[in-house]
Order: sequence, then C-alpha cells, then structure tokens
Amino acid sequence: MKALEVQALTKRYGSARGVEGLSFSIEKGEIFGYLGPNGSGKTTTIRCLMGLLRPTSGQCRILGERVVHGKATEHNHIGYLPGEFRAWPGLTPRKLLRLLAGLGNGDEFDKRQEELAERLDLDLDRKMRALSKGNRQKVGIIYAFQHRPEVLILDEPTIGLDPLIRQAVLDLIRETAQAGATVLLSSHDLSEVASVCGRAAILREGRLVELAPISRIVQQGQRSIKIWFIEGTQIPELPPDELPGVRVVQQNENTLHISYQGTVDALLKWLAQFPVDRIATTETSLEEAFIHYYQKEAGHER
Amino acid sequence: MNANRRTPFPWTLLRFWTLRILPAWFLIALMIFLFQLAVCGIVHDNQRVKAMLQYIDMLPDFIKAFFGGDALQYGNIAGLIAIGYQEPLVLLLYMLFAVGVPTALLAGEVQRGTMELILSRQTTKTHVYICAGLITIIGMYALVVVMFLGTVVSTNLYEFDQQVPLYSFFKLAVNGGILASAAGGIALLAATCFRRGMAVSLTVTYLVINYFIMIITQWWPRMKWLDPVTIFNYVDGAKIFNESAWPLSDMCVLLSILLVSAVLGGVVWWRRDLPL
Repeated sequence: MKALEVQALTKRYGSARGVEGLSFSIEKGEIFGYLGPNGSGKTTTIRCLMGLLRPTSGQCRILGERVVHGKATEHNHIGYLPGEFRAWPGLTPRKLLRLLAGLGNGDEFDKRQEELAERLDLDLDRKMRALSKGNRQKVGIIYAFQHRPEVLILDEPTIGLDPLIRQAVLDLIRETAQAGATVLLSSHDLSEVASVCGRAAILREGRLVELAPISRIVQQGQRSIKIWFIEGTQIPELPPDELPGVRVVQQNENTLHISYQGTVDALLKWLAQFPVDRIATTETSLEEAFIHYYQKEAGHER
Repeated sequence: MNANRRTPFPWTLLRFWTLRILPAWFLIALMIFLFQLAVCGIVHDNQRVKAMLQYIDMLPDFIKAFFGGDALQYGNIAGLIAIGYQEPLVLLLYMLFAVGVPTALLAGEVQRGTMELILSRQTTKTHVYICAGLITIIGMYALVVVMFLGTVVSTNLYEFDQQVPLYSFFKLAVNGGILASAAGGIALLAATCFRRGMAVSLTVTYLVINYFIMIITQWWPRMKWLDPVTIFNYVDGAKIFNESAWPLSDMCVLLSILLVSAVLGGVVWWRRDLPL
C-alpha cells in the first residue's frame, strides 16, 4: 500500500487552472520533494490531499483511504504545515498546540512539544502576536510533528528560518522518515529538497513535468566549465556544429565560462587545440537543473 | 483503516469558540438585563410614566412606533414594560450578537487563515458549521432568557398597581427567542460567503429592511399588506398579551426561517472550497 497517492487529479477554479491530470504516488518512509514556481499548483495539490479543496476530477488517497472533501480523512495520522502558518494572535504556542492536538484524538497529545520547542529554541509561553515570523513558523513545525504522524505534508517548512534552525528542521524530517513516516515536502529551496529527498516531482502550470530521483533531475541540467587561457591568447569562438548544446555563459579577457550538456569529451578535444592555462568545473546544482528544466519546458531554451 | 469510522464531534472547538464569545455575550446580556430593570423602574412610578408618555407623545408617529405604538398608554403596565423588549437599543444589541458571532466564527476564521488549521485536524466541515450554529442560536436564545429574567427580577423589585402578566412575557420571550435565533440563522447563511465584511453587510441589510418594513406597516395602514414580509411581524406582542393561546403559527414561520437558512448555509458551507 502506498502512503500517498494522487490519481489523475484535476482542479479548476472556474475557468482558471489549478492542476491538470496529476498522478504520482509516494512510498511509505519516503521523503518526496514537490517543486514548482509560484502558482504552479503545489498548494492546490496539497489542499486537495488534505480535503480542503474539492477536486474537479480524479482522486487522492492517504494511507489507502480515499480523501473526501471536508471529511478529515486520516487527519489524525497526518502532520500538516500550511504554506503560511497563521494562528490566533492572543494564544500562546503552548495553548495553541494543545487546542489543535485536542481537535484530534485527545490521547495523542504528549510531551513531545516540549522536546521539539527546545530543539527549535522556541519559547512556548509568549503570545503568538509577539512572535517573529520565524518563531511562528517554528510553532507550525511543532504543530506538524507533535503527534508523531505517519504522513507529513509540509508546505515550505523552512521559510523564514535562520540557517541553524533550518538545518535542525531538515534533520527532524530525516529522523521522522527513518522512523517510518512518509514526507511530502513542497519547497522553493531546491538545495533543501536535494539534501533530504530521494525523489521529486516538478510541477509547471499545473502539470507534472518531471517525476524522478533527485540524481536524475540534476543530470538533466546543464553543467559548466571555466577555462583560463594563457595571457595574450585570443579567445576562440565556439563552433556550434561541432559542439551542439554548448554555449558561452560569460567571456572576459582571458577566461571563458561555458555551459554544456552530456559529456565533456568533445569540448575538451576542441579545447586541446588552444593554449589553455587551467580549467575548473562546477558541480551542477538542482537549482540550475530546475531552471534549465523550466526554460526547456517553456520553450525558452537557447 | 476503516472508511466508515465516524469523526468524533469537536467538543474542544465548541469550548474554545464558546470561551471566545462569552465575554461579548456577558456584556450584551448584562446591558439587556439592566435595561429591563431600568424600564420597570420607570414604569412602576406613576409620575415618571406620565412624564415619559408626555415625552413620547411629542414624538412623530413613526418614532412612537419604534417604542410600541398604541400599546404605550397610561395604565397599560404590560405594554409599557414591553418597551424593554422592542426598544431599538435592545434590538441593536441582539443584532450585534446575531451578526457578529457567526461571521466571526465562520467568515472570520476563514479570513484569518485559522480555518485551514482547524480543518487540518480530525474535524469535518459539517462539525465546524454545527459548532458555529449552536453557539449562535443557543447564544441568541439565552439572551432572550436573560431579558425575561430581567423582567421577572424587576417585577419583584418594584411594586406595581396591577399584576404583571409574567406568563405572557414568558410567551413573548420564547417567541422572541425564536425570532432572534432565526436572525442568527440568516447570519450563518451570510457567513458562508467567507468575507466577514460582506457577511455583516448582508445580515444587517436584511434585518434593517425587515425592521423598517415593520415600522412602516405600523405607521401607515395602507402598507399593511407588507406585514407578512417582515420577520418582525411574527412576534406580535399585542396578540400574545390578549390571547391565552401560544402563537404557534408565528413560531412555526420563524422556525421554518431558522431551519431553511441554517440548512441552506450548511449546504453552501459544505460545497464551497476554502478561498486560497
């Protein structure tokens, strides 16, 4: 049984597009990245999974049970962090977390909030209105994790957090998955997705454009190489026929920054004709791969 | 996993919302209670009654209609005490509760973004709506009970020349309670528009139009045919005081308005997506 399934999910807002024909599934214990630019349909998918939106067609399943709009399907087993965590300003985090825990099984509330608050360096007794954006986000994280859920649906969990706490949250996600929980992690921070997720889906304009292991997504991207020529050498022009997919990113007096796809073999053979001082390669980031992917999908590839 | 497992009723949410509403309810209830004491305090004193009636007589007919119209006569103790039941300030207090509560609980939570948190727990949309409905309708009814208690207490505090027909006031309060609950039902329906300002405007407009139709029909006999249109027509103080029977047909109309508006609001609430 899959922990989470989305089958041919379509959601439209009148004539406006939400998501179109999405299908993917997540195995138990997997950390799954969900990527896409603003307005691509990530939050729409998540809200359909949570039963907050009624799909136009298709269905979602959580822990094998079909999600019915407004029916709180398996919500006791889900830890949810909305994209923007907003709470009652007059409550303290302690009271808020107790209230929200009480809206599920009464017995699920445990002392874990104390442990999490200590780990995230949060004072549970200050009013929500007095907390900074980052601290409010920490409350949201504790809310999602406090009842040891089987499925975690996290929409931009590290937004507004400092690097130290961000790392603590990523560690928490890893630990939770190791303990058997399934995580759907929607994020704009692609390095974060790369650091914790095994697989990821990329969404664009409401459609799934990629669903693959992170390593494969990274390979889809362009790699780059920087070449320093010996002083006084005239920098040669790239022959597009011999080196397809290679383009100049930046050119200075003695240096050439080139991006390429596939292997570097042909490029090195061509460079061997010229007096090269040294070369450096940079590792392709998921972000570069992602941007490249988008340019390609949008038909903007140069 | 059992697909037929029932979601438990969110008593925690009901308690949380009740505690949030309680201070406003107490304040309104206190003002209504004190108003009844004040009215009886004036009515039990013949000199003051004379002065008050002289003052009211100077007012134009349509303003006099606000306070009870023809029922305001020297010697008609019940009619004079009933001023406390239909005085605009009292009606405004009821309206504040009827409009403020469901719009704060449904539209307000949606606008604040906290409804997403509530619904992300083991709580169904229907349960959330029922919680808001219970607090509104019971709260409105309880205000009417406080108003009646105000009359009971003040008739014990002050001595009157004639017996005050408390049973008739009780009937009036029960009937008025259903009217207040029906107004709450209308506000519940309006709250499903998800925007608090809009919900408040819709409910206030509905109630104000109904109130003015009632005043117009009392003041201008040629407009009597409009009587059945206004919700306030279904609490007829004169009929309640003059007849021993309960005004069952009026109560049924008000209950129908309450039921239809609350159920319709529930259906709209259930069907609509939360705004992104």
